[in-house]
Amino acid sequence: MTIATRPLSLVVNGRQVGPLDVPENLMMVDFLHEYLNLTGSRLACGQGVCWACTVMLLDTDGAPPREIRTCITGAHFFQGRHVRTVEGHAERDADGAVVALSPVQQAFIEHFSFQCGYCTPGFVTGATVLIEQLKRQPVARADVETTIEAALSPHVCRCTGYVRYYEAVRSVILDTPGLVVG
Amino acid sequence: MAKGLSRRGFLKAGLVSGVAYKIAMLAGPARADLVETPASRVPPWVGPDGKARFRYDAVAKVTGEKTFGRDFRAVDMAGWPREQSHAFMVFGDRADHAFEGIDLSVLGAAADADNLLPDRVVMGADLVRDGVRPPSDTDGLPDGFYGDVFLVPAGETPRFLGQPVALLIYHDFARYDAAKRRIRFDTEVVKWGARTAPNTPGNYGTGRYVRIGGDRPDDRDVYSPLDGGTTVYGRFEGETVVWPAADEAGDATARAMWAAARLDEEIADAGDDVLVLTREHYSQSIDASAMEADNGLVWYDLVTGTLRAVLGTQSPYETVASTVSMFDKSRFRLTKFDLSIGYTVGYGTKDHSVFPFFAVVAGLYGEGRPVRLALDRFEHFRTAMKRHPFWMTSTLVVDRTTGAFRVLKGAYRTDGGGRRNFSPEVSLVGTSAAQSVYYFPKSDLSVASFASRAVESGSTRGYGTVQTMTATEVLVDAAAAELGIDPIALRRKNLFRSGMKNTQGAVPGGALRNEEILDRAAAHPLWRDRAAAKAAFEAQNPGKRYGVGYAQVQKDYGCGAEAAITTLSFDAAGRLTMRQQGMEMGTGLTTAQAMMVAAVLGRVPDLYDYGATRFPEMPLVSNEIPYSITQEEQDRLAADPHWTPSYLSAMTASNSVYYIGHATRTAAKALLALSLWPAAVALWSRGPGGGQIAPLAVTLADVRIVDGMLAGGGLEPLPLDRLAATAHERGLVTGVSVHTFNRWKWATASFDVPGVGPTTLPIDALSVQYGDGAPPEQKALMTAGGFHFLPRTAVDYPETALNNAGVTYYTTVGTITEVVVDTATCEVRVTNHHSILECGGQVVPELVSGQLQGGLAMGIGHALYEELPLYEGGPSDGTWNWNRYRLPHAADVAVWKQTSEILPPLSDTDPPKGMAEVVMIAVVPAIINAVADAIGHRFSETPITPARIREVLP
Repeated sequence: MTIATRPLSLVVNGRQVGPLDVPENLMMVDFLHEYLNLTGSRLACGQGVCWACTVMLLDTDGAPPREIRTCITGAHFFQGRHVRTVEGHAERDADGAVVALSPVQQAFIEHFSFQCGYCTPGFVTGATVLIEQLKRQPVARADVETTIEAALSPHVCRCTGYVRYYEAVRSVILDTPGLVVG
Repeated sequence: MAKGLSRRGFLKAGLVSGVAYKIAMLAGPARADLVETPASRVPPWVGPDGKARFRYDAVAKVTGEKTFGRDFRAVDMAGWPREQSHAFMVFGDRADHAFEGIDLSVLGAAADADNLLPDRVVMGADLVRDGVRPPSDTDGLPDGFYGDVFLVPAGETPRFLGQPVALLIYHDFARYDAAKRRIRFDTEVVKWGARTAPNTPGNYGTGRYVRIGGDRPDDRDVYSPLDGGTTVYGRFEGETVVWPAADEAGDATARAMWAAARLDEEIADAGDDVLVLTREHYSQSIDASAMEADNGLVWYDLVTGTLRAVLGTQSPYETVASTVSMFDKSRFRLTKFDLSIGYTVGYGTKDHSVFPFFAVVAGLYGEGRPVRLALDRFEHFRTAMKRHPFWMTSTLVVDRTTGAFRVLKGAYRTDGGGRRNFSPEVSLVGTSAAQSVYYFPKSDLSVASFASRAVESGSTRGYGTVQTMTATEVLVDAAAAELGIDPIALRRKNLFRSGMKNTQGAVPGGALRNEEILDRAAAHPLWRDRAAAKAAFEAQNPGKRYGVGYAQVQKDYGCGAEAAITTLSFDAAGRLTMRQQGMEMGTGLTTAQAMMVAAVLGRVPDLYDYGATRFPEMPLVSNEIPYSITQEEQDRLAADPHWTPSYLSAMTASNSVYYIGHATRTAAKALLALSLWPAAVALWSRGPGGGQIAPLAVTLADVRIVDGMLAGGGLEPLPLDRLAATAHERGLVTGVSVHTFNRWKWATASFDVPGVGPTTLPIDALSVQYGDGAPPEQKALMTAGGFHFLPRTAVDYPETALNNAGVTYYTTVGTITEVVVDTATCEVRVTNHHSILECGGQVVPELVSGQLQGGLAMGIGHALYEELPLYEGGPSDGTWNWNRYRLPHAADVAVWKQTSEILPPLSDTDPPKGMAEVVMIAVVPAIINAVADAIGHRFSETPITPARIREVLP
């Protein structure tokens, strides 16, 4: 039997992918998992309410990257687009070994932000998108906490109670020059 | 193998019923059987100060490496076929009609080119024909533990709502995915026949603890389970529990019932001098909502009879034993079982879950291809074990003059749903904990666990105690209100203090520091200034009500039969290797166990083998009946130095830091005493006149690790590498393996260690490894996996009567909660909270506070948001997900304001205590009490939703 497919080409973590024949209705999270074997973006709710599956959409015409929920977004939405998954945040050598973590990743590990780690990829993505936004549009120092709340509030963590994620993001924002004013 | 030893006895030796098995950790840095500390260029996880910079598994988790079982596919598994199939289950949504069959016409007709029909359909009849049934007679598992069928056979009525009726297997993902989406909410696929009577299993169990203490707490009990008494078990007549007859002169059970009758009389005849307060409380069913939904990847090789599986489970040994038992009765041949386990998370619900066996069933029908059965969230809600709902009636008798508690009577009912699982055990543990942090001179606590058509309930973080202690903590506040006493003052009058007996008559181990916690709570500004804060807030915020509540609870940890193994050894270059059974479930075990070694030896191991199950260096056997063995039988079997009451425990019951950690700490101390110390003495003794140590009086007790070197007593500090080289050169002990057993007390044993002499340790078995320079005849003794098993010369096992103790290890937490109730929206918001935790010595403080913060969030969810209907319309109907099941988010937990403090240990030798369960409990009754302070209504059920607030606001 056949399922209707269309060719899909995109850039994932800087690497050109495709064209691949991909079912028209396939969700992006399943494309990442089953076609690219990139399983770091985690499926948890499948209806876009927990944000464990998010990726960064990078080609935004100069606007900050966007955080996209891959469990409710079709793979073909990404035709011709550039995305970064959690696997693409750290600096790696030619063998794929991690050379350096991103500032958000580094802050999460130093703050012991996660336990089981299932939600971590979504928090890495969400926090990184926030940092990118703040690079373009800094916030007042007094508004840092509410800014973090607004940006990360949909993300669900069941183990660690959010405190250590939020404190880590606050430290990145306050320690990165140019993200806050006043 | 000794006669009468069980299937599990065989399992420990790497062979179960003739089937070779292997269990290996898959995830992240622990992907191979034996791996080095991750060799990335990220700085090492242990800093130069010997403290953890971050979690051992942190880099893998933060970079999206494959860590969970769910992340793995057949292509990731060495030696597996690349072609992989995908399966999903079809669920019934009725339990009052006979199942007739399934109609897949919605997926198209076979003749249609674009049909979505499965490549293989497995029905209940297939399983009956092939003899594939849930494990039922594995040792230690009661009948019906996992239910009696995997898939409901046609013509039968499901045992419970949402029971699976078919398994559909697809050889490609695209069709699987499309088919699953098409029939996910289709209620016409399952066809039903005639209406029938319910087919619910028999009710699950009862239990009762009765105690009448002496005149003073340390007087001998008139009656208690531990002091010549027993736990009482009733029976069911239909839906009614019948307790045994009372007889003052009868056996232990009859006397318990006589004692219970006396308490009933005391309550009935109570005079005006006492307050008799009876309250009902309902604690709801919830889904633990582990973010990794249940999943399994199973390849059954039809030709060789080899089973290979990737499963997420908290109980891998049980999974192996039960799988083999399952095969025994089927037409399928099993010659070898390789189980790979990823990191997982379950909050208890992946302990003895039936799900892994469903995955095995899928693999059996994969026609030689690996099959992946990975649930989505809707399916996980349907199948995952739930927290038991408890209906509780509690009566408290309080002396009006002194405020002293006289009697606590609790009668509890739980609903275990349609599979037995651990329902009676959870119910009984909850009952044993109902006293919370108080001393009760008299108590009668009983429970009955019923079967129903609900999704099964099982082991879940808190294990029944969230429910019972919440009822008690709310009752105590209600009593304080009735008596006009400050809630903390009433608690102080009745605190459970060191040396007092619990409601089973057991004296908890160690100091109880309830009063310190209470003192700190009373002095905290949130509590101390609450009246003024309420007045000020409500004046400034019309329409909003402010309240502060407090609760304090203690939770046991451990299961009463905790067994663990740790092996530590070093090579001549000083590279330290650790092997142990501990698995990572998110709690940070892999980090903490390594830090425990560092605390004793000054460095973390260089090589790890976590999740190990095969320990040839520890050749023990067990009949695995630690709870039911008689004293006589234990005494007889203990004479065999190879015998132990239990070999290895599952990862559950907050058992890693204290119990598994005991094995790790003891192994590290033994390596210090039996190996590094003798090597150091040898080096310090070199030279004329007996060397630098000769003029001094230095003993092992003087030894310290300073800057990674062995020092003490003014002697030259020695690097561990040099000591290792010396130990090897001289053929000293260079490795130890210890087995530990705890039944609310540690087993201790003595050994004659070659080159060292008589040694007594808090373990029941010891093996040692000798260095490279050992003489051949000594090396020849290393026949147990390269180790020399030293038969113990004496052993002292905890007496079997301790099985009636219930629990003796407690961790305590108190939580003050501040809430605001909006009288317009009727929402309750937690605006601040402060917790005070006592958990002994902390291994990694960041992990402790992370557990505390996470537990508080889960407790807030239980108190305010999370709830599942039990029956029709509940999670079994396949429409439940987190859009309608409200999980706490950051905005709900006072993420920026919450604070906590952890009592410093009483000494630097205080062991760490299991604390991952207790931390979620106190906040639940604290919120109920805070809402009472805010609006004057004390809720008798959770969650406190806006709808319930609306019902009680004037």
